[in-house]
Amino acid sequence: MEILQLLNTGWSFEPWVLIFASLLVGAYILGAGAGLNRYSVLFYSGVLVMLFAIVSPLDFLGRYYLFSAHMIQHILLLLIAPLLMLLGIPKGTAEKLLEVKPIEGIMRVLGNPVIAWFLGVGAMWVWHMPSLHDMALNNEALYIAQLLSFVFIGMIFWWPVFAPVESRRLNPLTGTLYLASACLGCTILGMLITFAGAGLYTAYVNPADTAGLLAFIRNDLCITPGMDQQIGGLTMWVPGCLIYLTASMITIAQWYGAPEEGVSTAGQEAV
Amino acid sequence: MSSRIPLVPENTEPLPSLKGNQGMLAWVSSVDHKQIGLMYLIITGVFFVIGGLEALLMRIQLAQPEMDFISPEVYNQLFTMHGTTMIFFVVMPFLIGIGVYLVPLMIGARDMAFPRLNALSFWLVVFGGILIYYSFLTQSGAPDMGWFSYAPLSEKPFSLNKGPTYWALGLLATGIGSIASGLNNIVTILTLRTAGMTMRRIPLFVWMILVTSFLIIFVFPIIASAFAMMLLDRLLDATFFTPAHGGSAILWQHFFWGFGHPEVYILILPAFGIISEVIPVFSRKPIFGYEFVAGSTVAIGLLSVGVWGHHMFAVGLGDVANLYFSLASMLIAIPTGVKVLNWIATMWGGKIIFATPMLFATAFIIEFVMGGITGVAIASAPIDWVVTDSYFIVAHFHYVLYGGSMFAIFAGIYYWFPKFTGRMMSETLGKWHFWLTVIGFNMTFFIQHFLGVMGMPRRIYTYQDFPYWGSMNLLSTIGAVVLALSVLVFMWNIHVSLRRGKKAGDNPWNAWTLEWAAASPPAVHNFDLVPPVRGRRPLWDLAHPEQPDEPNAKVVD
Amino acid sequence: MADNKMLIKFFIASESIFFLMLILAYVNFKGTVVDGPTAESSLNPYVTGIFSLFLLASSLTVWLAGKSLRAQNHTMMKVWLLVTIMLGAIFIFGQGREWAGLIEQNITISRNVFGTTFFTLTGFHGFHVLIGLLMLSILLGLALFGDFKGPKSDGVEVISIYWHFVDGVWIVVYSVIYVWAFFL
Repeated sequence: MEILQLLNTGWSFEPWVLIFASLLVGAYILGAGAGLNRYSVLFYSGVLVMLFAIVSPLDFLGRYYLFSAHMIQHILLLLIAPLLMLLGIPKGTAEKLLEVKPIEGIMRVLGNPVIAWFLGVGAMWVWHMPSLHDMALNNEALYIAQLLSFVFIGMIFWWPVFAPVESRRLNPLTGTLYLASACLGCTILGMLITFAGAGLYTAYVNPADTAGLLAFIRNDLCITPGMDQQIGGLTMWVPGCLIYLTASMITIAQWYGAPEEGVSTAGQEAV
Repeated sequence: MSSRIPLVPENTEPLPSLKGNQGMLAWVSSVDHKQIGLMYLIITGVFFVIGGLEALLMRIQLAQPEMDFISPEVYNQLFTMHGTTMIFFVVMPFLIGIGVYLVPLMIGARDMAFPRLNALSFWLVVFGGILIYYSFLTQSGAPDMGWFSYAPLSEKPFSLNKGPTYWALGLLATGIGSIASGLNNIVTILTLRTAGMTMRRIPLFVWMILVTSFLIIFVFPIIASAFAMMLLDRLLDATFFTPAHGGSAILWQHFFWGFGHPEVYILILPAFGIISEVIPVFSRKPIFGYEFVAGSTVAIGLLSVGVWGHHMFAVGLGDVANLYFSLASMLIAIPTGVKVLNWIATMWGGKIIFATPMLFATAFIIEFVMGGITGVAIASAPIDWVVTDSYFIVAHFHYVLYGGSMFAIFAGIYYWFPKFTGRMMSETLGKWHFWLTVIGFNMTFFIQHFLGVMGMPRRIYTYQDFPYWGSMNLLSTIGAVVLALSVLVFMWNIHVSLRRGKKAGDNPWNAWTLEWAAASPPAVHNFDLVPPVRGRRPLWDLAHPEQPDEPNAKVVD
Repeated sequence: MADNKMLIKFFIASESIFFLMLILAYVNFKGTVVDGPTAESSLNPYVTGIFSLFLLASSLTVWLAGKSLRAQNHTMMKVWLLVTIMLGAIFIFGQGREWAGLIEQNITISRNVFGTTFFTLTGFHGFHVLIGLLMLSILLGLALFGDFKGPKSDGVEVISIYWHFVDGVWIVVYSVIYVWAFFL
């Protein structure tokens, strides 16, 4: 009953999300063409993940009831959606874009691994400061800024590892260190949230029960505020880290798959 | 290197030279990676015997119910020192030491990147060990709070003796030494590879040492800071881990296991490396899925730092935390299983030669899988609640550390002994050693699974005469005696082989990695000429120019 | 030889974890103090802040020393090294002053968890500053005896990397202890 009710009422197709998504798709079609291929499917699924995270009941739950739902949304927006979108940009398009001087300049700065790392890890830490998080929940503009910043910063964070142009990527060993240290960053934050006493984020302790779901959550699902916070912290900690880990496995696999330096692929120079 | 002033005599003889005329000074002052490597192996041998005797004393005490062979106080000191010794002064320094010896040879380098730092690492380990063992001579005896030294038991009101202080100081010194050797290994592997030895061609042993070194430099600081806090608590009355004064005993557990779980992988990854070298050579096939073995190592390394909570299921972290830690811990079984499959696939269809190193490597796979499977079982919190702190756990980690690490260590010794000394080890004695080890080891520890499930707690100095407990413990003790016997055979084998072993030649096993291109024992400068490297098996390419591993590889000189 | 610099970078990575643990211990106990002194009740963020500026400035001067060496300006290198040492020494003096003041009020490492974590964290940092000062002094001594012809010296570069690290750690420590207690 309550689940159905949630599934029915939790959707919120706010115009800014739809505009933003269609802008993204429009820009993509301009840059990479309208056809469906390996790249565009990745890109569009990234956009869909983003849309899902923002318009679905997940957002509704994360905003009004459950910290853990917020955390899932956070991971989708910061780690999954931008990664898919970045992987969906074909190399040719990226090269063309990087020929434009201002874009090149911006990416040279933002794509610098140190800056990208601090932005990526910083986004997690800053937006999870209890005071800022509570403020964002009560302020529509700040909330939108938060969600959008996740997507942008996520793309910047993934750039040094999965940039469409190979020359912009870190080598796999450095890349693994980059990802492992980012994982450490979110581990520590996850740990602090998990082991901090319940009620770190005051909004979730006694939610204003606008949709009448509180009894269902507390009594039927048996999620107490303390447990909710733990699930949130651990979601950032364990599955969050697994994403970084999977990414570094992918870079290592790509590295082993690529031809050896000093190896001629065609065999003309073979001895 | 710029002008190096020879302040002390350096060995010019290939090592180990028993007839060198420069005496002990040439050993004490050495900065040569081979000499330091051998010193690591010798010192770990000494500690292995000490730690083994401690275990034997405990097993004798437990042979029958209500024995009073040793007192409870001494028993506590024995199990603490046994665990500490075997982990920090046997398995770890052995693997570091054999790495220090082999890594430069395997990548075609003259020495480690920082030879003096290498010597410093070694001596820190030695003096750390001496410091800990010195505590036996103090009035109140050795540390007696168990190898993980839980607070507040290790804290002042509960441990007024000096043992825990010595323990923390000694391990702090050893830990700093380990960090230094980790740093040294990383820089050596990243910068001193010979031409053509790209990161995708380094032997898997070197790869494992690299990943282990990264683990060392990132997790030893965790325990170093915890040791520092423990020392401050004990010496300056700080209150980190004393709940009575506002501190937190759980914090120690987080720090300790945050280090302690990755430490398990520090103890096993180089062992995987040894196995990954031995199995292909004795199956006469290249390793199956080099990339998978290498990649899964990185996965293990990364996963291992996030799962320490499974050591703390009994603490009460909360159901959610237990669930996540359970799942994450079980995940590690995947990359580990990948490795096991690779080793088996390497043996599959190979012309397997069951020389002693291969016997130990094969047994390693079986025993380690046993330890791994019980590990997956106790990664599940409810099972752990039942068996935690029982002999089931003791059996589990001995299958991992003895059946795993020690079996690999024995395989490595039999495999590389000809390189170290120029002589082969006796195969007959080797087979005696192997079978006695297998029988003794399984006899000692397999039965302990059942004892654990029947409720026998670990770390008790005696027990009442419950049904079957006496006979099962007696069986375990007899196994321990057999195991001790196997070590005697092993030591006798080394003794005999050093003097009368068959001359080995450079490459007695027809192996393919670079260390076998050097003389046995290697000259002081390692190589006169490093063979060209055009693939993962340089010596194969050299011997079979008509069918190289990488036919398209360009020559890099 | 790039490997000296590689070594110090990995060493610093390792050291960061060490400090991270000390900081986590501090964070873990922050807010659990039931009685006795806390950061809010016993520290002065402004005085320490001013002394911190000296340490921050020394990061700049050690960079200038390296720059002078690259430009083969040996005199200026020695001057900048000396200035760096003096700035670092002033910072250490400030730390000593703060410690002495606290101990006078009977706020010690054994008083409560605030004392324990505060003195451990700042103590280990101060210890690293002292080691850095020692190494800088050795550098200066060698420079006075005419070592370091330039334009490159691993010694100078490695120690300045270490010094920047010590400085960076302090920024974090100051933020965690002082900024958190007084400005957030």
